[in-house]
Amino acid sequence: MVKMLDLGVTLFAILLTLSRVFITIILSIVTGWFLAYVAIKNKTFENVYISLSEILESVPVISFFPVVLIFFVLVIGGQLGIQLAVIFLVFTAVVWNIWMGIYQAFKTIPENLLEVSENYRFGFLGKMARLYIPYSIPRISANLIPSFADALFYITVSEVFSIGTKVFQVFGIGTLIADFTAEGDYTDALYALGILAVFTTLITFLLREYAEYSVQKYGLDTEERESFLKRGRIRVRYTARLYSAKSAISRLSKYLTKPPYFISRRERDKEDHEKRKIKLPNKIIGRGIGIVILVILSYLTYTVVSSVSPSTWSYIISTTPFDLVNLAYDYARVAFIALLSFLFAVFLGYYFATRPIADRIGVPIIQSIAAFPAPAYFPLLYGFTYSYVSSVLGPFTNEFYVILLGFVSTFYYIFYSFWLGVKNLPSEYWEIMKNYKMGFRTRMRRVLLPGTFPYIVAGLSSTINSAWGGLAIGEYWPDIFAGHTLEVKIGLMKAIALADNHGDLALVGWLSLIFAIVVVIYSILFTRRMMDLAREKYVAEEGVYAA
Amino acid sequence: MTNILNCVLHYRKLFKKLNRGLQGNTDGRILEAIDVGFKYSNGVIVFDDINLFASDGELVAIAGPSGVGKSTLLRVLGGFIKPYKGEVRLLGKKIVEPTPKISLIHQSIATFPWYTALDNVKLGIKYKKLPKDEEDKIARKMLEIVGLQGFENFYPKQLSGGMRQRVTIARALAADPVVLLMDEPFAHLDELTAEGLRHEIYSILFNEETPLKSVVLVSHNLSEIVELSDRVYVLNGSPASVIGEVKIDLDRPRNPRDSRFQEYLDELYALLTPISKTVKDGKNA
Repeated sequence: MVKMLDLGVTLFAILLTLSRVFITIILSIVTGWFLAYVAIKNKTFENVYISLSEILESVPVISFFPVVLIFFVLVIGGQLGIQLAVIFLVFTAVVWNIWMGIYQAFKTIPENLLEVSENYRFGFLGKMARLYIPYSIPRISANLIPSFADALFYITVSEVFSIGTKVFQVFGIGTLIADFTAEGDYTDALYALGILAVFTTLITFLLREYAEYSVQKYGLDTEERESFLKRGRIRVRYTARLYSAKSAISRLSKYLTKPPYFISRRERDKEDHEKRKIKLPNKIIGRGIGIVILVILSYLTYTVVSSVSPSTWSYIISTTPFDLVNLAYDYARVAFIALLSFLFAVFLGYYFATRPIADRIGVPIIQSIAAFPAPAYFPLLYGFTYSYVSSVLGPFTNEFYVILLGFVSTFYYIFYSFWLGVKNLPSEYWEIMKNYKMGFRTRMRRVLLPGTFPYIVAGLSSTINSAWGGLAIGEYWPDIFAGHTLEVKIGLMKAIALADNHGDLALVGWLSLIFAIVVVIYSILFTRRMMDLAREKYVAEEGVYAA
Repeated sequence: MTNILNCVLHYRKLFKKLNRGLQGNTDGRILEAIDVGFKYSNGVIVFDDINLFASDGELVAIAGPSGVGKSTLLRVLGGFIKPYKGEVRLLGKKIVEPTPKISLIHQSIATFPWYTALDNVKLGIKYKKLPKDEEDKIARKMLEIVGLQGFENFYPKQLSGGMRQRVTIARALAADPVVLLMDEPFAHLDELTAEGLRHEIYSILFNEETPLKSVVLVSHNLSEIVELSDRVYVLNGSPASVIGEVKIDLDRPRNPRDSRFQEYLDELYALLTPISKTVKDGKNA
């Protein structure tokens, strides 16, 4: 009877958590459709929207924490405030991929389809229902698996948060497992994790099936068709049948979100042409929405700044050099996690991509593991392995666990990117590698790493962003298991967590601001340059000439 | 001029025949497919009982309508895909996997955009593990043979389609192949470029400085086939089989306006007349 009750409670908690996840995803999709529509119709709004999204996308979710805490919990307050805070936190984790995916889809709708919709005088709803929304479905569905994994990761930690001594929480699987673990009820905790694993595996499977179905149903083969029509005859590739399994992945990968600066020259030309055609019918509405977003951001900034006295600000600012040292430590950790993930991705990605049976079994398993939220199972993993790990690693034990948490939270992005890149390499390259008997090292050095470079940069960028999330949780985790506290000696994420724990919101805000500035500078100076280099020199498809 | 060229080619073939006698008895057959068949995993047979060979100094073409399995057959000949029956032999030895001794040139011209023309060619030699200067020397030589001297440091993007295809030919030749497999090598070139390259290709391939012995060309451009090949295997039907073999006995260089050239074209057209498929119980009859 007790077990039945536990099962019911666990199922209810999982459904609540999943419903929050899907609310945020649906919210992202619906808002994405409208915002993208306004963006393609209005240049002013488009500039504000894309610039902000690009910046906010490169800032890890943790930076949104102070805004969430102050605005939702203190301004709105009550259970509603907490619920909204949790949803908003997760929203910030999933929204950018989906918004950018929809925006890119809307921007690349073939001109002949747009002309058809104009020809038959479809109104706003007609165009949305018959053209824009269906056209965006493949891109949305391709982004659903990572978005779902991201959302689940952050929701399990967002369900419980604290400001000073005050703990805010909403009921869900994250809180339930945390409660079981805190009470020493490890059997029930494992039991709940098992049920959660079943759900995440099932949902990942369904999302993958849906992604393939949506590409089949809504995807266009425009690019390929254009290229062979130009030559005046149909190009029949033998590979079309032999590698039919690959074609679904190739097509699916086209719909994965590319950063706006990674849109191909052809797509850009198309966009420019499109821009000239748009008559800006919603100019005022677009500008209005752009201004409203800027006002909201200004208001939030003002709220944080004005709530702290000038003397406190001067003290906080004086600690900046030490904060930067903290940040340097964290960057070292992130670099280590990224390197580890990269090595893992390269070897495993290559292994799967070259062995069809292992690929069919292994990749779904990795996808399911990635969707399984690390914060939910990590305390148990910590508890069960701590005594052994501490006996081996001694003073580096906590550092090990923080890196491990960062790794399990992020390896998927670079793995998936590299794997997709390898699978997407032109079949001609594989034949050349086999023909000239290239060994593993030569293949990697000469063909695979350069050929997948754009994918590696995109994957590493996501990995690095998510690694910050892992550090934010792991660097200071009080009472992770049976009274143990997981903490590192030095690190900016720990400093933020401690300030948050002491209710020092001004310090939290300041540290987050420093962090956000550094991350944005890093993104502009490093990630974008790498992307530019990748676009300039390392697009494998450009090596296969089919005029 | 034409007579001199024919004379040179004739003596070259004679020399190679003598040379072959010293290499071992393969009945002059450099590459040979014996009773080869290929089917998809769903059981549909693409082609069956294919027997063909390419002799020393010979450019053999495989012609057939679109979708008949020409490119697949070429991959079987190169060991890239395994036949469900039969075997392929190179100089009498069974081919079980791809080898640089049989180099493939793709229909869609495949170069590596992150490497210069010279580095692209060097990829074909990597398996030999030669010293860098030796690699460099061979790659430069091959680029010279294909007429790309002076373009060594150009990236593929900076080259025209025809020049890129020359790079892939140089890469293939650098690998020291015995047989070259060409899968519609001019299909993605504009007509003028293709014509220019077609005129040069024979002398490029059967150059004294290359070790190449035979070439197998796949094409559905019959004029190209008559212009280039010594013998043609015509594939047709479902599952496909060799329905005809035509020996092109014309002096080189060949003139498409020549009446005998037209006769060969007519003969090939006649063989390629569509054959109706008969389907029985969901399987090819």
